[in-house]
Amino acid sequence: MHWGTTMSDVDKTISDDALEACFEQARVTQAPLPEAAMARILADAAAVQPRAPRMAWRAWVRALGGAPGIGGLITATCVGFWIGIAPPQMLPDVGGIVLGAEVSAFDLDADGFGWDLEEG
Amino acid sequence: MHERNEPDADAALLARYAAGDPAAAALLAQRLGPRVYAQASRILGDATEAEDVTQDAMMRLWRVAPDWQTGQAKVTTWLYRVVANLCTDRLRKRPATSLDAIAEPADPAPSAAQHLQNVARADALQTALDTLPERQRMAVVLRHIEGLANPEIAAILDVGVEAVESLTARGKKALKGALAGQRDALGYDDE
Repeated sequence: MHWGTTMSDVDKTISDDALEACFEQARVTQAPLPEAAMARILADAAAVQPRAPRMAWRAWVRALGGAPGIGGLITATCVGFWIGIAPPQMLPDVGGIVLGAEVSAFDLDADGFGWDLEEG
Repeated sequence: MHERNEPDADAALLARYAAGDPAAAALLAQRLGPRVYAQASRILGDATEAEDVTQDAMMRLWRVAPDWQTGQAKVTTWLYRVVANLCTDRLRKRPATSLDAIAEPADPAPSAAQHLQNVARADALQTALDTLPERQRMAVVLRHIEGLANPEIAAILDVGVEAVESLTARGKKALKGALAGQRDALGYDDE
């Protein structure tokens, strides 16, 4: 039944179901993207892709905290080296212990650095 | 185009691409390339032009990748919009085509297999789509073939949702009229 339509009106259109069937058919019959086109797309992508960042020395500096971090690291290294070769009196002579020396920093009658013994 | 629940997947891949991950480009191209090509094919009705538009749209995606802000929009919505604009540019550069100049789909042989019938239906629909004004054609393709929701289509076409509803309604009415003369090609017993 086609209320308000004449036979000629019906001839000039198709039903909603028929149109929906066409849409459904279109959804399942879409031609695939040609391989050559895909290859061109991938070539474009490779040509303009940003390079992955490399861990250069600047990145290492940033990872260590920047200039303040590097400064602190250098200071700590120098102080540690100094303490290692000339420990204060309140600290044991770890170097002597490790090397098997009998001398202890507490036995030395020397100034803070102990170098006066060498000098007589 | 039926992966509505993965709004961040494409954006995540785009971020990986921008970070230099070579595998991300292939994944994105496989996910989005066929969708772009399908949309362009339906709107332009020309495979060669659709390939060019697809390559152009994807190139724009690659170039925008470093500046992409996750959450600003769905990648697919952005890409559909690019494709719509590229197709519009091409359609407006074409010389006007009369309806009589549009080729009729081939008549299927009486003994044609079902897949040939299906191809004939698809061809008939494409021929009918080609007769629609470009905005109606885009709205109908995005709504009824790509399956997008009206708000997303509104964002793609830069119009309101009501305008999308109007475009699709007028487009469907025009399609039904254009397809009425091709009942034999459609192969439906349309009562």
